[in-house]
Amino acid sequence: MPLLELHRVTKRFGGIVAVDNVSLEIDEGDAIGIVGPNGSGKTTLYNLISGVYFPDNGRIIFDGKDITFLPAHERTPLGLARTFQIPRPFGSASVRENVAIGAMFGRAKLDVESALDIADHYLSIVGIEKLAEKEAKLLTPLEKRFMELARALAMKPKLLLLDEVMAGMNPADVDRIIEVIRRVKDEERIAVVSMVEHLMHAITRFAERVVVMHQGKKLVEGKTLDVLNDPRVVEIYLGKRVV
Amino acid sequence: MVFAENLISNLFYGALLGSIYGVATMGLSLIFGVLRIVNVGHGAFIMIGAFTAFWMFTLYSLPPVAVIPIALVFGLAIGFIAFQAVIRRLVDAPELSTLLATFGIGIFIEELAKLVWGADYVGFSWDIGTLYLGPITVSYSKILAFFCSVLVAALLYLWFTKTKLGNAIRAVVQDREGAVVCGINVNRIFALSFSIGIGLTVLSGVLVTLFVPVGINVYMGGDYTLKAFVISVLGGLDSPWGAFIAGFLFGLFENGSYAILGLIPGVEPFALTRFVAFAFLLIILLVKPTGLLGGGE
Amino acid sequence: MKIRSYKPLLPLFLIYALLILIAVAVPGMWQPVAFFMFYVALGQAFNIFMGLTGYVDFGYVAFLGLGAYGMAIAIKYFSSLGLISILLGILLAVVMSILLSLAVGAVALRLRGAYFAIATIGVNEGFRYLIEGVRLWGGSEGIVLSGLMRRTFGRETANLLSTFFSDILIIAIAILAAMTTIWILNRKMGYALLALREDEDAARVMGINVTKYKIMAFITSASFAGLIGAVAWTLKLTYVFPEDVFNIHYTVEAIVIVMLGGAGTLLGPVVGGLIYGVLKYYLSVVFPGIQLLILAPMLILTIIAFPEGIVGFIKKKGKKSRISYYLR
Ligand SMILES: Nc1ncnc2c1ncn2[C@@H]1O[C@H](COP(=O)(O)OP(=O)(O)OP(=O)(O)O)[C@@H](O)[C@H]1O
Ligand SMILES: [Mg+2]
Repeated sequence: MPLLELHRVTKRFGGIVAVDNVSLEIDEGDAIGIVGPNGSGKTTLYNLISGVYFPDNGRIIFDGKDITFLPAHERTPLGLARTFQIPRPFGSASVRENVAIGAMFGRAKLDVESALDIADHYLSIVGIEKLAEKEAKLLTPLEKRFMELARALAMKPKLLLLDEVMAGMNPADVDRIIEVIRRVKDEERIAVVSMVEHLMHAITRFAERVVVMHQGKKLVEGKTLDVLNDPRVVEIYLGKRVV
Repeated sequence: MVFAENLISNLFYGALLGSIYGVATMGLSLIFGVLRIVNVGHGAFIMIGAFTAFWMFTLYSLPPVAVIPIALVFGLAIGFIAFQAVIRRLVDAPELSTLLATFGIGIFIEELAKLVWGADYVGFSWDIGTLYLGPITVSYSKILAFFCSVLVAALLYLWFTKTKLGNAIRAVVQDREGAVVCGINVNRIFALSFSIGIGLTVLSGVLVTLFVPVGINVYMGGDYTLKAFVISVLGGLDSPWGAFIAGFLFGLFENGSYAILGLIPGVEPFALTRFVAFAFLLIILLVKPTGLLGGGE
Repeated sequence: MKIRSYKPLLPLFLIYALLILIAVAVPGMWQPVAFFMFYVALGQAFNIFMGLTGYVDFGYVAFLGLGAYGMAIAIKYFSSLGLISILLGILLAVVMSILLSLAVGAVALRLRGAYFAIATIGVNEGFRYLIEGVRLWGGSEGIVLSGLMRRTFGRETANLLSTFFSDILIIAIAILAAMTTIWILNRKMGYALLALREDEDAARVMGINVTKYKIMAFITSASFAGLIGAVAWTLKLTYVFPEDVFNIHYTVEAIVIVMLGGAGTLLGPVVGGLIYGVLKYYLSVVFPGIQLLILAPMLILTIIAFPEGIVGFIKKKGKKSRISYYLR
């Protein structure tokens, strides 16, 4: 049984069909990359999975349970976690508290004391343990992204959805993130879906499978290298070969 | 029969008063549309307009109609000062801050007015005759108030749709980020819209006295703030035109239900009408928070 | 639960103890201190909702008013029970406030920000006009109890109730409100409220049932308001008029207190309430009638210059020092 199953999911905003009849299966421990040009519906897909929006058509099954119309806060404890394309820290809380909030209300469901204790562990995993006491709104955009990753990990998800975490990072940071993703995937069997828009080279380093979105539709899906050399994919990326 | 006549005359009265409610709400909606700020101190500016009309009449015998442009200019100035002193610093602040700040501004203006003008109720009498039309008896000054309201709304509409600046304001309402990209100086638009919003509101205070030239008091605004909330929500909160039409509807509703509720024995129809208005507000907010006349999602 | 997380109660109780000492030891200070404590309690109660959730309830005074009516009804209709009618009144005040908060919460708490604020004004005004419109509970004439209270409880007891016991009860409410606040802050609920105050949508995605926590804070805050209304109005003043008890003025005072002291902090409403109470008490002696003229700019200035309030500001500055253990 797949961990997550999208079955012909569609979401419209007025006249725009942001996600158009998309089906997708993700298994435990998968590492999947989602690519696609701006506005192709990647973030909307995440919003549908995490419950920010409900789809107009289609079903979403998570861990054997139909979550299509489950409110966001009820699906998170089942084992979902995500980061936001534009980071959304709880600004006046400290970085440690931000991560602890993830541990308290995500699948981990820890009590306050343990959540605050374990927060430091996740901060050190992503390498920002020094920032623990800092007010989250004072972080740089990059630090906020690391914090969001730590917060998502602290939720102990079965499925981790990363929305452009690596955008704008230098190669050393990208290495660190990829290392973290690999580690949680192997050690905790977390399925990781990451969307990477510009850093195509990064995707080859962690994704086993790649899904290409285009105008709301799933254009191609398959093994990473095959997909990236698919002529249709090459074409939508301005006719350049990506790898 | 008496009831029917009562209802007809109340509805007529309501339609006239509704046009004034409309203008008295347009400023609130304009400011919310452009700056995303709810002016909780709205009514205080209506009060300023009412007092302006009162003093101009009492001191210089100026009829309220002639005070309209004066009040507009006066309101623009107050709006500009309030924007520069307070609002400018809060454009990007959390909603809580702007709600509380406008609340504070309203109280400040009321208290200042009380210090200067005292807490008494005042009024004046500008009699230009009365119209008798079947069951309807209404003074010409009220009819004049109606035409002035429609004229103000129409001129504003023309200004918004036909001038470059007006279009720029509408662009900011539609899409703030987009407007920035198009090279519109958003800060200037904010200052301008806030000033115009307050200018309109002060002006509407004159129209209010043209309609009801008595009961002018420094705390008269609170009532209008509440009505303006109901009306603006009805009209979609961010649309001055929606507000104008909603004002009409509210005037009809308020005066019509007054006639009807008066039939129930043992109640106070005046208070109950207000209760119904607020119940109505809550229902709209629940069913369609974007307003009955507003757009989709 | 670690003791450390309750340390912030220390400075707070120190302030309370000092106030009580002044009230008892300095002749003529009992009434002023009771006056200050009213604002401290009001601030604490309001802070549990506005401070912790970031939602402004402009109709908050409706809960105070309803509490006042609850007590008045109990005394008026159950005076045969003697002093038990007072207990009944407290109970009724809380129950009625809870019921109203459930109704308002179900309607208004689905709305956000400005829409919520507007809806709450509607609730308060609507409620007041309903009472006047259908002549409920004496309609606009209100309920006057002084004669009845003297007859039922005896002159001495009635006097003691309004000049002494009501003050003691206010102090008790202030203590209870402080303990409730820190209890919330130390629990998951405190973190849930912190998250939803900052970003409600992100909080939902984090697994937080925002509606549940908002309503919990709302009900808690409303119950305290009901208590304060019952004690500080009906019991102390011995009358209830709808025009007075639904006056938006009290909401303004609560807002100013919370913002001045520091929204969402434990100590903030105490500091804010104290400053406000003292200023109001002595300003009304020096400049009668212009307190609001002074308060309004104070509120605006606070919002612009230091929106985190006095305690929020100190907390920020003292982050690295030992002080931080005692501040929340
Ligand atoms: N809340 C919304 N309301 C209206 N339209 C929306 C909304 N969210 C997304 N859209 C539209 O849906 C389409 C898909 O957007 P989405 O954000 O999912 O794309 P994306 O692939 O994540 O793009 P990007 O690379 O820019 O992040 C776009 O046309 C966008 O404008
Ligand atoms: Mg996106």
